[in-house]
Amino acid sequence: MTSKIAIEELRELFLSAPESAATRWLGIVISLTLVSVVLWLVSRRKLREELTPIWMGATLAFAIVSVEPRALSALTRAIGAWTLSSTLFFLGEFFLLVICLNYAVRLSKAGDQIRCLAQEVALLRTELDQRCRRDPDLDSASVERPGL
Amino acid sequence: MTANPSTNGTVILPAYNEAERLPDVLRGISSCNLGLEVVVIDDGSHDATAATARTHRATVISHPLNLGYGAALQTGYKYALRTQTSFLVQMDADGQHDPTQIPLLVEPLLGDECDLVIGSRFAEDTGYKMGPLRSIGRKIMTGVAKLAGLQVTDPTSGFQAMNRSMLEHYASDDFPADYPDVDVLVRAHWGGFRVLERSVDMSESLRASTLHGGTRSIYYAYRMILSLLGAAFARRSA
Repeated sequence: MTSKIAIEELRELFLSAPESAATRWLGIVISLTLVSVVLWLVSRRKLREELTPIWMGATLAFAIVSVEPRALSALTRAIGAWTLSSTLFFLGEFFLLVICLNYAVRLSKAGDQIRCLAQEVALLRTELDQRCRRDPDLDSASVERPGL
Repeated sequence: MTANPSTNGTVILPAYNEAERLPDVLRGISSCNLGLEVVVIDDGSHDATAATARTHRATVISHPLNLGYGAALQTGYKYALRTQTSFLVQMDADGQHDPTQIPLLVEPLLGDECDLVIGSRFAEDTGYKMGPLRSIGRKIMTGVAKLAGLQVTDPTSGFQAMNRSMLEHYASDDFPADYPDVDVLVRAHWGGFRVLERSVDMSESLRASTLHGGTRSIYYAYRMILSLLGAAFARRSA
């Protein structure tokens, strides 16, 4: 019983420890850097706008917990963790898992679309060749063919 | 062999780097005088598969890149749907399937007994020998199909014949690009399509590696089970 109380007290000690200003500033700098990188990628057309909300949302959440850690502290208590940083890592890993799954779904869809397009290209090419054979005035070689 | 399959049908042969074996297969089909359109789907081969097929007066559909066996089959289905064909026969391009047995598969289709006919190596004792691992895999897949309510003895056979309604079903986006086997058959069965088997003779595949051989058999088994679980889940939620 004594040891249980000691562990609870120790956990409370961890939870009530003040976050250092350096950690807070580090969080803010990382958030601003992430926003800048996302905007730079969009401006260079290397990242499509429709894929940015999830990154902007994650960056915003990171900035909020960096500036105001009380929400993170409450969550840490709720999930039974000891430190704010471990909660942050847990959320980060969960976010990465979700985003990986999201990209796997997008990749599957893109794969299906590529398959459909490649099949359509092949079928149209065959149709063109057949028409060219039927009508000698059409020259299949002069028709620009899509190259994938 | 009473049916005359020369009534507007198509034979499709998905081929990947089969320039060596394809001429014999095409000559075999041609010598049967079945009057069917022969379509070779060249799945992004690096050899002269397409040119060889053209030399033997087959219609050639060339994928711009390698899409997989299932995708090549589906391209054939899509092609057939754009023509007036009333039935389609699919065969392997490696000489494993005997073209003289095409009428056996087509006959039940012409008599409207079913929508899909599978050429089975095991419906009767044809003396076909399978390796021990593949044999175990086949038994598992046959058992899985039985659990799903479908009685088939050779769910991995690529020698099949189907009518237009089956083609329309297979041309959908759900058709797998890699291994269209027992999962596709079970889905067809659940979709209300009539599946039948006919005993056929088959030779051993001359390919160095097969779709279901080696370590791929493990992925194959996993892939089939996952696909069937997905289909069962979708069926339950529908």
